[in-house]
Amino acid sequence: MTQTRAITLNALSLYAVAMVLAAAYAAQFILHELPCPLCLLQRILFAALAVGPILNIRFGPRPSHYAISLLAAVAGAVASTRQVLLHIMPGDAGYGSALLGYHYYTWALIGFIAAIVLIAAVMLFDRQFEDDKAVLPVTGGAFAQIAVWLVIALTAANVVTTLLECGFGACADNPVVYELLKRGV
Amino acid sequence: MEFTLLFLATAIVMLIAWRGQRPLALGLFGAVLIACVATYLHHATDTLKLSF
Repeated sequence: MTQTRAITLNALSLYAVAMVLAAAYAAQFILHELPCPLCLLQRILFAALAVGPILNIRFGPRPSHYAISLLAAVAGAVASTRQVLLHIMPGDAGYGSALLGYHYYTWALIGFIAAIVLIAAVMLFDRQFEDDKAVLPVTGGAFAQIAVWLVIALTAANVVTTLLECGFGACADNPVVYELLKRGV
Repeated sequence: MEFTLLFLATAIVMLIAWRGQRPLALGLFGAVLIACVATYLHHATDTLKLSF
């Protein structure tokens, strides 16, 4: 795999992260399901997954960039596994609604494990780590730039919505209202 | 509040990775990841409301 193709793949992975963050927002705003603390932590770790690809696009593919995404994916898998185990008892309805039979934290676990496998698979291709002297824009072209700004914008939007949801104190275990909007009424 | 700060820190790390210096981005990413793990462990010690 050439460096150029690796950068395109990294841009695609950013679109995948953006899709996950957008899907979480869809559940929050369309279904009016506020994310619990563990759900927020999983969102943060999905966002953290994007730092590796951003570095790969900016500075070229390096094993250390993939490694930081792997660390974020492992941490995310641990957090989502805990939430799956919290609701594993028969008769437990789980937290929030289900999508195609699985709750969002189960999909998150599948997503983090898929990320671990895919990153490991992409790292098998050594040629991407050699400078192939391709005429590459420093920032990977418009396709990659849009992906980067999309992920940054969604993460920044989460700063605002999480502040509205949790306020300046600790987040509720089972949030049903936006703390800051409630105080404003 | 801690989750708002973690989102903010992640967004800052992304901006530094995109516009700033690589070593700084890597270092800050490490700090954010440690903060995430600490937040997870803090909540993992909460009393569980189990259904049995």
